[in-house]
Amino acid sequence: MALESTVPVMTAAKRPARAKWRRVFRSKTALVGLFLVSFWVVVAVLAPILPLQSPTEPDVMAMASPFPSATHWLGVDILGRDILARLIFGARTVLLVAPLSVAVAMAVGIAMGMVAGYYGGWVDALISRFSDIILAFPVLVLYVVLIANIGPSIINIVIATTIASAPGIGRITRGLVLGLKQQEYVAAAKLRAESTFYIMLVELLPNCRGMLIVDACLRIGYTIITIGILGFLGLGLPPPNPDWGGMVKESTTVLNVWPFMSVEPSIAIVSLVLGFNLLADGLREAWKP
Amino acid sequence: MNMEAQNLQRPVSRLDSSHGASCKTQEPLLEIRDLRIEFRGKDETVVAVPDLSLSVMRGESYGLVGESGCGKSTTAMAILGYLGRTGTVASGSIRFDGEELVGASPRQLRKVRGRRIAMVYQDPMSALNPVRPIGAQLAEVPRLHLGAGKAEALEMARAMLRDVRLPDAGDMLKRYPHQLSGGQQQRVVIAMALLAQPSLLLLDEPTTGLDVTVEAAVLDLIAELRHRYQTSLLFISHNLGLIAESCDRLGIMYSGELVEEGATAEIFRRPRHPYTQGLIACIPDIGGDKHSRSLAAIPGHIPLPQERPQGCLFGPRCEGFVVGQCDRADLKADEAGPGHQVKCARWREFSRRQEGAATVNSNGDSDAADAIRLSNVTKLYGTTRGRSLKANEAVTFSAKEAEIVALVGESGCGKSTLARIVTGLDQATSGEIRMADKNIAELQARARPKQLLQSVQMIFQNPDSTLNPSHSAAFSIRRSLIKFGIRKGKAAVDRRVRELLEMVRLSPDLAERKPEQLSGGQKQRIAIARAFAADPSLIVADEPVSALDVSVQAAVVTLLLDIQRAKKTTMLFISHDLALVRHVADKVVVMYLGKVMEQGTVAEIFGAAAHPYTQALLSSIRSTDPDRPKAAHIQLQGEMPSPVDVPQGCRFATRCHRKLGGICEQEAPPLRRLSASHEILCHIDPTPGKTDPDDATIPVGITGEPAND
Repeated sequence: MALESTVPVMTAAKRPARAKWRRVFRSKTALVGLFLVSFWVVVAVLAPILPLQSPTEPDVMAMASPFPSATHWLGVDILGRDILARLIFGARTVLLVAPLSVAVAMAVGIAMGMVAGYYGGWVDALISRFSDIILAFPVLVLYVVLIANIGPSIINIVIATTIASAPGIGRITRGLVLGLKQQEYVAAAKLRAESTFYIMLVELLPNCRGMLIVDACLRIGYTIITIGILGFLGLGLPPPNPDWGGMVKESTTVLNVWPFMSVEPSIAIVSLVLGFNLLADGLREAWKP
Repeated sequence: MNMEAQNLQRPVSRLDSSHGASCKTQEPLLEIRDLRIEFRGKDETVVAVPDLSLSVMRGESYGLVGESGCGKSTTAMAILGYLGRTGTVASGSIRFDGEELVGASPRQLRKVRGRRIAMVYQDPMSALNPVRPIGAQLAEVPRLHLGAGKAEALEMARAMLRDVRLPDAGDMLKRYPHQLSGGQQQRVVIAMALLAQPSLLLLDEPTTGLDVTVEAAVLDLIAELRHRYQTSLLFISHNLGLIAESCDRLGIMYSGELVEEGATAEIFRRPRHPYTQGLIACIPDIGGDKHSRSLAAIPGHIPLPQERPQGCLFGPRCEGFVVGQCDRADLKADEAGPGHQVKCARWREFSRRQEGAATVNSNGDSDAADAIRLSNVTKLYGTTRGRSLKANEAVTFSAKEAEIVALVGESGCGKSTLARIVTGLDQATSGEIRMADKNIAELQARARPKQLLQSVQMIFQNPDSTLNPSHSAAFSIRRSLIKFGIRKGKAAVDRRVRELLEMVRLSPDLAERKPEQLSGGQKQRIAIARAFAADPSLIVADEPVSALDVSVQAAVVTLLLDIQRAKKTTMLFISHDLALVRHVADKVVVMYLGKVMEQGTVAEIFGAAAHPYTQALLSSIRSTDPDRPKAAHIQLQGEMPSPVDVPQGCRFATRCHRKLGGICEQEAPPLRRLSASHEILCHIDPTPGKTDPDDATIPVGITGEPAND
């Protein structure tokens, strides 16, 4: 009859709550990615106080020999501007625009996927078909068409990214929600009169977190590439703003004489994108069930 | 530290039975001696099995029993040499038919695996290849192991399918695994294991996840095939009751060690180790109901390998623990009888535990008002082409205040759908559910007033999905208190959460833990606390313990009953476990294919079951009492028909063993009222006096067990 069972069970907690993040730091992949990303974040944040030359003022004297030197560590570009300063100031734009546009795209995409997955039926059909149509467009064409029409500016890049990425994010969220809404804790929430909005936000969304963070990292990487391409196509931020893609483009005419002018900004793009991709891979590895 | 202690006690115990009851002179077929299995990770080494010795004789059936996590499956994997990359046999030996398997080369192992030692796993679906037909998979075995030709192998496969009693073996060979039911799949897996004519068959929980009637049939099949093929069995299970009938000898395993070993009947008659006694006491036996005996539970949980105590491993959970006696490192196994070994310092002092005395008075106050009344509840799901799936049809029953009504039936009988309708997670197509003079049948949770939601709460089946992994254990309890306004203010809510956790006998420290840090039993207790947090008048419990280990099951059920009794809550208890239902319920409703076949009080159903389906269900329960004469099992023919095209006439007619003939197939059976509370839906008139010519066909001894003895 009497049962004094299970009062202090499990003396040693197997996984403390913070372990999820701690596991990330054990993954070498994630650490390399984190290093690359934080390098660019730190230099971008510190750009105004770093002893850099002006990214927009040409150094006419240096143009005689634009190669890397003691004054210009990475050399100067065809207009005599310091490449290092342009790269670091360019990072400020990239690191502002890419995460911002992904954040907006995530918000829209998650909302779409949540609603489609949770309600199902015709709501789902409508949102999913609409997404399919957008996903069927070649992404780059979509960007070029949009930016060429509404003009290059930060806001417009954000809008374009949102239109291009939200359907993909929505699809991931919908898939997750389809599985999660069958869980018994969702039924329990319904039985205590929780509103649908509350169930989506508090019961479902936190359980999509892992997948969505990984996806966001990957998407930031892709968006950086896209911004680079837009710059290369001349649809980036208007000159004389430093823009990585624009820097590659400007120097293509002198590629066989001064290749470093194109190679250096390309390496910058590669390192930052690689950083985000490795970070995403590491997170996925560390959080896989 | 701990490991050294383990090492010290290593050479002592050898719990085998070289003087086993059945085979005195023979060499054992399988002999495990001083086996130590370790899993070596990057940072730590986990000793899954510190020191294990056992042997299986030729033709013998040996049962290895213990709670999950005691190392029984690891032992089976070690026999086959499948410990993965991290697992190793650190010391000891496994000899099979005179051949050493520890350290054997992969080639040697390959010759033994599948050919001479075969294994049947828990989940048949993952043991079969989904993209190949059954026949090809079966034929592969004799072709690979016996060098048979293609045609010959297929012929063998067909013969074996007939032996495992699968209907229409020829057609079966062409089917794919997903076209078979769970029971059929498990039969195919057994057939596959037996095709190579192995001398040892390892069965790892082969019936977990199967319905009771299917489980009974599979167990019968295993027993029969074992004699026909003279295969030795190593039968692994957490349920003592399950293997009582199938095994000659039992080994009780606890935390990687054998604590008791002996002949099955001897263990059940004279269990010596307190752990064995606990395991036996927590099986709901069909011989008693909640008014005669309550389930005993073993307190505590199995220690993690890193925290094994010195001396008796069961010490921390044992009531009879004595310092200086039980915690000595040189604790040895002792001979408690011929072939009966027990590893307990004080076994002589323990007699069989007193069973819980009759303490419970009947809940069902016969004058009480109906708390809920279902009449003609029907639920249809539309499928393609205008056909509909009948999940429930004309379900009618009622529950009085503070009464526990059990809904029983095999999976697919519509009991869970009914639960969802009552709670408002689903909507009835037609019919009435009256609660407090309101019809709630078509009200979904969103449309229900808060007060109604509060009065009907639910306990779910799956401990892994009942709590949100992103929130703390107490989160949903707290929300429930706030949403229903049971307590106002943070301090009052927190105080109530603590009270509720104490009510389900959990430490309040667990409140802020994440579900992944809780055991299945603890999660289910939290779910119970959550359901009762709303102060409901009706609780719907959908298989609340079926996913838990037997010993934990007993604890959770006892707890649930205690709270229910104290709060006078009405409860719909859904289960497929009849023995458990007998311990829990006041009234039983037996469902088959969406319809109520029989309903009555516990005494009526278990004492005088009148419907053939109920009788078949009852006969599938295994009694653990070795002195009780074994009842003949009614083998139900075939599978439950699809609820999309239900049989005309009686739903059960396709599988009934007492079918009267054409009338059963064509005409819907009448509702026969046997007493005020007992009714059946059947063409057979069970009232004595009127002699029914077909009554002669009823097998003797299955018309129901005696109610109480």
